[in-house]
Amino acid sequence: MALFIQNIVRFVLLVLFQVLVLNNIEFLGLVNPYLYILFIITLPVRLPNWVSILLSFGTGLLIDTFSNTHGMHAFAAVLIAFLRSGIIDLFITIEEGNNPSPTFYTFGMNAYIKYVVLMILIYHIAFFTLEAFSFTHLWILMIKIILSSLVTFILIMGLQTIKSK
Amino acid sequence: MKNLLNFLIKYSVVFLFLVLEIISLSMVFNNKDYQKSVFLSSSNSMVSTLYEWNNSIVEFFKLRAANDNLSEENTALKNQVILLQNELATLQPSDTDSIHFRIPPEMEYKFIPAKVINSSTNKLQNYITLNKGASDGIKPDMGVVSDEGVVGIVKTVSNRFAVVIPVLNPKIQVSCKFKNSNYNGSLLWSGQDYRYSNLTDIARHVKLALGDTLITSGLTSTFPAGIPVGCIEDFNIKESDAYYNIKVKLAVNFRTLLHVKVINYLNYNEQKELEKIPEE
Repeated sequence: MALFIQNIVRFVLLVLFQVLVLNNIEFLGLVNPYLYILFIITLPVRLPNWVSILLSFGTGLLIDTFSNTHGMHAFAAVLIAFLRSGIIDLFITIEEGNNPSPTFYTFGMNAYIKYVVLMILIYHIAFFTLEAFSFTHLWILMIKIILSSLVTFILIMGLQTIKSK
Repeated sequence: MKNLLNFLIKYSVVFLFLVLEIISLSMVFNNKDYQKSVFLSSSNSMVSTLYEWNNSIVEFFKLRAANDNLSEENTALKNQVILLQNELATLQPSDTDSIHFRIPPEMEYKFIPAKVINSSTNKLQNYITLNKGASDGIKPDMGVVSDEGVVGIVKTVSNRFAVVIPVLNPKIQVSCKFKNSNYNGSLLWSGQDYRYSNLTDIARHVKLALGDTLITSGLTSTFPAGIPVGCIEDFNIKESDAYYNIKVKLAVNFRTLLHVKVINYLNYNEQKELEKIPEE
């Protein structure tokens, strides 16, 4: 039950922060971090795949509604939700009967960073490619992806260190 | 049959994934039916209310710039009033035949003031949400301007809110012309920098200079002629090209955009209907 409430609070806070603050960051016109995917990243490991996919679809659609992007966030969010369990298995073996939410503590520094980086990269690549829908400005696209992913990564790491204190 | 069922159950997550991805993609590519999807855009009233609330805080920090702008406009208007008064005083009142007096159709515009409550400048397709909607008389296809110049065209309208496609969106092209030579071309954003846009369709023989001012051409029913669009920042032409490649510095700063006016062209329906007839 506590886990349930914790996730709802995290969801509300992240979506509000994303919509009201981060979507207004327009540094150099290139950086637009999407921190709200931390919600998807931190869903409990043993949550059935179909639940996390549906949740991500809803969340992505909500962010879409706020930023007029029509399904682009939903697409990217569903993609990372689908790949999530595979990526987790890639870096860490969770013992039977355990159901941790991915954090520094539960995953360990090394595995957690690998997992987060991969999720962020897949998300930003999917989203920005879909947004541009062409490779004509490939350099701008790549710079956008790299800078936004980097800022998202720094924000997530910052949040994790604050929480662990 | 049993095998098929087992197969479906085994791969149900994959199917769910594929179905949701297809739904998302079809939403991305179907957003031409924009009118229908007001629910999923920022003219949705819940979303807009949240943005309005947020904006009331942010607006406070932009008051100073808005004030400066207003006072500047005020002085310009006052100067104009004095100028016109002088002009009026010098003219003797002539006997105007009141029956034949008409406002020329191209002058019949009304302005609806509105406030920007959400906007983006860093996307490839940017949108602006206004706090006025159908109940204030705003309809799709109306032009939107600010004190500085052209902003965009109204796309979707709900009862209390409206979504505008600004010139920072390759979905619209604004017809504009040079103030000094009347050659017209269309303005198309390349998706890179919110301060600049590109002017197309200017043929090789036209004489250009850096800093030439661009205004709206008045050839569409959306904008009256003479609203500033921007000025030429840079231009070049290749040996083999027939048209110039012109970079335009936009008159409007979309980052600080707050107060806009929606243009209500009173003869819109009549003109549209008349123009429809030759096509049939």
